Amino acid sequence: MSAYVALLDDGKREEAIAVRAIGPGLYEVRLRGKVHVVDAFRHDYGTLSLIVDTSSYSAMLDWRGTRVNVRLRHAIIPLEILDEKKLRMRRAAGKFTVAGKQTLTSPMPGKVVRVLCRVGDAVKAGQPLVVVEAMKMENELKSPKDGRVVELHVKEGQAVEGNAKLCAID
Amino acid sequence: MSPKRTIEKVLVANRGEIAVRVMRTCAEMGIRTVAVYSEADRGSLHVRKADEAVHVGPAPSRDSYLVVEKIVDAAKKTGADAVHPGYGFLAERADLARALDRAGIAFIGPRPDSMDAMAVKTTARARMAAAGVPTVPGSSAPIAEEAEARAFADELGYPVMIKAAAGGGGKGMKRCDRSEEFPALWQSAGREAAGAFGDDRLYLEKFLEQPRHVEVQVFADEHGRCVHLGERECSVQRRQQKVIEESPSAIVDEQLRETMGAVAVRAAQAVGYVGAGTVEFLVDAQRSFYFLEMNTRLQVEHPVTEMITGLDLVRMQIEVARGEPILAQEQVVRRGHAIEARVYAEDPARRFMPSPGKITYLRVPGGPGVRDDSGVYGGWVVPQYYDPLISKLVAWAPTRDQAIHRLVRALGEYTVHGITVNLAWLAAVLEHPAFRSGDYDTGFCERYEKELLRPPGARYEDVALIAAAIAAFTRERDDAEAFAARAGEGTGRSNWARLARVRGLRGGER
Repeated sequence: MSAYVALLDDGKREEAIAVRAIGPGLYEVRLRGKVHVVDAFRHDYGTLSLIVDTSSYSAMLDWRGTRVNVRLRHAIIPLEILDEKKLRMRRAAGKFTVAGKQTLTSPMPGKVVRVLCRVGDAVKAGQPLVVVEAMKMENELKSPKDGRVVELHVKEGQAVEGNAKLCAID
Repeated sequence: MSPKRTIEKVLVANRGEIAVRVMRTCAEMGIRTVAVYSEADRGSLHVRKADEAVHVGPAPSRDSYLVVEKIVDAAKKTGADAVHPGYGFLAERADLARALDRAGIAFIGPRPDSMDAMAVKTTARARMAAAGVPTVPGSSAPIAEEAEARAFADELGYPVMIKAAAGGGGKGMKRCDRSEEFPALWQSAGREAAGAFGDDRLYLEKFLEQPRHVEVQVFADEHGRCVHLGERECSVQRRQQKVIEESPSAIVDEQLRETMGAVAVRAAQAVGYVGAGTVEFLVDAQRSFYFLEMNTRLQVEHPVTEMITGLDLVRMQIEVARGEPILAQEQVVRRGHAIEARVYAEDPARRFMPSPGKITYLRVPGGPGVRDDSGVYGGWVVPQYYDPLISKLVAWAPTRDQAIHRLVRALGEYTVHGITVNLAWLAAVLEHPAFRSGDYDTGFCERYEKELLRPPGARYEDVALIAAAIAAFTRERDDAEAFAARAGEGTGRSNWARLARVRGLRGGER
């Protein structure tokens, strides 16, 4: 039996899931107090055919590390799945805090076309701080909280990678 | 009879899905093709599809795809006898057409003077007004100074549209609701326009409340014949960019179609038009229509017209460039209903933020009445430098209702992993009651913003959790087996015995 914890809604909700193999391609899955018998067949990359009890589903799993977007029919369910060890490590690292210094990162690679703040500026949540251009569209990146700009890592005209630090607000 | 020109090799001065689209027709016509590519596009699909390929410079389009001399040089070097510009980039640049003409190479598009007449949107508006075509109120010329523009906007009354004089395709176009917002939007539009068209001139137009965007496809040959191929309704727009287009439009009946068609033909003839063109109109709640602009090129959404007329517009463009005559108006047959959905590498939940990156897996839909015009393949990295359009999915069916169901079905089959795409959002648009009823306008996406971002289906949450848990479980087990197999190498002991032990340690599964 392997136990997992799934984080839903960006970590706002948790569900415990336990999986046990009971035969070739056959699993017993415990979720919300119910036990399901699941026949799972791995198709080509990222596609899992599931027969849950008797219902048939084709689940498409797009993995990004421990995060996965599961697509079923037209629904996309983003979640993160962790085993007990990873969950303990995550908790120890204290990644769940929202207070304190927040770093604004570029969500995609692109070019900084405008910097709208300076170190020391008081800013409000939702105030645009940096404008990054990608794919010919300009995207305003906004302050995640009320506070003060404590770090500024970019200047206008600079190329940035995805996840690059732009500035920090405290 | 005009002397027919020979076209045996076409250079496609574009990239992405439209370059692939043009090359497909060329292949069917036995015409050889030349691709051009920037540094970022060496691995692009259009380079693979072409018979020859020429590198034209670094990734930013202003240093590669937008440089007229580089395109002309590539055409000379490869001995191409014609250039197809696609849409965007140099498609509406008369200087390319002129430079090609001087080099004795055909430009597959209208004459340069027709492009000039329509290229500067303000000039086009004036010409159309003179030809008796109704236009939207706005500035009669581009405005240079921000302060002057703001004063004009204040007088015109908000909301106003800030538009690129050289524009099209939503680039450099901003809706401004308040005077205080004007400076930031004006500057942003100017930068976008300079980047997209190499021309930062802007003008203003009054924003019509709840208009519908309906455009008419026209086609003209050099023998004086000009026909229209019916309308396309393009009112589903986000960030002033079309996302879903359909034909026929729910508000256009046969009589209005004839009227708008005749006006569109008149607009084209007023500038001596030759080739494929689109006359865009805004239609208000009273079904009055106003000239918006004429696009002197093939449109992104041309497949919608192809599906209902059975014509190949790229083939027709090449035939017209060869000097051949086009079909007569009474030979144009329209049948059934077609809808196109633009598949973008973007995240609707994050205000349509572009999502470049590697496509780790791709599966495209099939089945009856479905067409996928794609410019990508699995394993390719969608570059950050260009438009996020990766494909256009089109469905045809005898009725609008069936076409909607068919397109929703096909979107459900479309699978793109590794980057975020707008597939679920597109399906939500098609299934929205306002879209289903046909009663929608250009404010649709904004008005129903929240409803279109469907929350992750609670209905499938349990199945999703089960799928993810089993996938994680089997992945761990596979890793353990691989590890055990490696650990057993060279010890002389049986890997199977070791594997059995590893599994035993993991909690008694078989």
